[in-house]
Amino acid sequence: MEELAGRLTALDPDAGAAVRVIAYFDRLVEGRAGLEALVRGAAVLSGSTARLVDHDRGVRVRVEADGRRRDVSGPARPEWPSAPLTPGGSPALWLERPGPCSVVDAMVLERATSAARLVLDRTRGRAPARAPAEDPALLETLLDSGAPQAARLHAARALGLDPSGQARALALPDGHARVQPLPVPESAGHARGGRSDGVADARPDEVALAASLLGPGLPRGGRVGVGPAVPVLDLPGSWAAARTALRFTADGTEPGPRTVYADELGTLALLADVVGPGTEPPADVRALASAIAATPWLPATLYAVVTAPSLRTAAAELNLHHSTLQDRLTHAESLLGWSVRDPHGRLRLQLALAVRRLMVGHTVLPPG
Amino acid sequence: MTTTPPPLTPPPFDPELAAALAVMGEMAPTTLTPETLALARAAEEAGMDGPFPLLTNEEMRRDGVFDVEERTVPGPEGAPEISLLICRPTRVQEPRPVIYHTHGGGMVLGNNRLGMEFTLDCAEEFGLVVVSVEYRRAPEHPHPAPVEDCYAGLLWTAQNAKEIGADPDRVILAGDSAGGGLAAALALMARDRRGPRPIGQLLSCPMLDDRNDTPSAHQMAGLGIWDRQANETGWSALLGEARGTADVSPYAAPARAEDLSGLPPAYIDCGSAETFRDEDVAYASRIWQAGGEAELHVWPGGFHAFDGLAPQAALSQDARAARLRWLHRLLGE
Repeated sequence: MEELAGRLTALDPDAGAAVRVIAYFDRLVEGRAGLEALVRGAAVLSGSTARLVDHDRGVRVRVEADGRRRDVSGPARPEWPSAPLTPGGSPALWLERPGPCSVVDAMVLERATSAARLVLDRTRGRAPARAPAEDPALLETLLDSGAPQAARLHAARALGLDPSGQARALALPDGHARVQPLPVPESAGHARGGRSDGVADARPDEVALAASLLGPGLPRGGRVGVGPAVPVLDLPGSWAAARTALRFTADGTEPGPRTVYADELGTLALLADVVGPGTEPPADVRALASAIAATPWLPATLYAVVTAPSLRTAAAELNLHHSTLQDRLTHAESLLGWSVRDPHGRLRLQLALAVRRLMVGHTVLPPG
Repeated sequence: MTTTPPPLTPPPFDPELAAALAVMGEMAPTTLTPETLALARAAEEAGMDGPFPLLTNEEMRRDGVFDVEERTVPGPEGAPEISLLICRPTRVQEPRPVIYHTHGGGMVLGNNRLGMEFTLDCAEEFGLVVVSVEYRRAPEHPHPAPVEDCYAGLLWTAQNAKEIGADPDRVILAGDSAGGGLAAALALMARDRRGPRPIGQLLSCPMLDDRNDTPSAHQMAGLGIWDRQANETGWSALLGEARGTADVSPYAAPARAEDLSGLPPAYIDCGSAETFRDEDVAYASRIWQAGGEAELHVWPGGFHAFDGLAPQAALSQDARAARLRWLHRLLGE
């Protein structure tokens, strides 16, 4: 059957191959073949590794082009040809190679997902099943620095993670964790591109990112602290850093980053060790709090000033005339008591804003 | 053999194997007649691959894992020389066990590259030498030409083992389909002629019985790969008018052997949905009854030679893994 992919492409690339792909999956359905056979069909007919992931039903099947099943893997890449299980749904079946998607590939994806939908409805019903990948106890063990290495190794395997691979932990405000497997070595800038101040907005590839997570998807627009990429067995460290990063996210009452990457925090991360909800606020933070209480436009203005590359850009972001912004800043400086337009003053302001976020008291619960 | 009409409901094919058959279409014909044999021969001569891959020397080298050479050695007495394809593992020094491989093709098709892919998988796994013999085929060369060519190659291999890095005391006979029948025949000949003493016979879906009249032969008529008509074509090419009569040598059709004692341990496998199922099961049973050693696997829903046609299917992976495990136990290394 290793010849199948070659034969299909040698056939009339439209009609002949398509007819045979249809015949292949029809036979599998007639024979009541299981999911693995369907994913293997996609792999051998396309000549590339295929994977099926259905988080809701706890399904994770990956078969390589030689027909062998190897579920351990990194995240799905957005450039891979893929198809959803239901029209308009998120991708569920991928061919693990860059596009473009050939006529045969498209037919394979379409027939395989259609057959997989039948099998899933038959064998697992429509009720969500709890899969190992969603087992909070396994995630908890994986992220627990106190757990023996053997236990974390076992948890990693049970979750379908390659223990020799890379991953990072994500911290959510409800105390829950997610783990994102990463390709090795992590390509620079993948799923990143944060702003220069060490914070980041929601990523354009958020959907792809969510699809590769272990555990339920992320709430859209919610706060997330993202830990650094580490070897899978070092995930407790990534998890600790992710929780720290989460504390630098904005809670939504004031403008600020909703997603913060721990490895972009730099020295700011040290502040998290010394500042907590009960800390006596420093003078700059007290000044900032009273200034904000008196001036509703102040938070957005100050955030734009510390994040934009220039005052002109900040004015554009705020939809203000440049001179209006200058007037506002003069007023802000009088309230705060220091300049926010020179480098030293901007640094004071950034630190004060960061400490304010740390103090607003996002209580981070332990995982689980 | 049967006097009552055999049941004609065939066992179902394994779903993955059925799907692979659907894609292969005419590439993997169910049957073979003397007329279509001519077409298949013409396609062979034109260099077209059949449903099973024929490896090039370069592919068989596997990036330096094997040295590959073709040697011409003496054939049977008074007959032309024969060609041996010899693959030696490059990374081992001491004499290694050798797989003596007889290819399939219903006695009428194929060459000594057929079936080499999995044979080399075995050889790579255990560091074995492979010798694959090119024998004369029927109908141009009826029995005993094919099996005598094979035996001449076996003698050369045993006598010149050192020259090819092989251990003459550890020869394993192996073949599938017609090649499985030839391997079984070599085991009988070596026993009867007091020739080399192979340590095992690996018979994959072997073609053993010219009578072609078992329930499985009837059940699978017109289905799968190598049906009853194809089998008749192959056996008639080999035996002519003698096919099915009392006048058939066990060296042509090992199922005809009355004595199956004193043979090397046998590994026999087949699919439940193939012509050869019943004759293969019977051969294993008769080896046990004769006080011999055999391991038998009947893979459910397998058609003839399924693991060669669809090596990726789950059933094929299991079938191949079982052969490797048997080899592992046999070699005891």
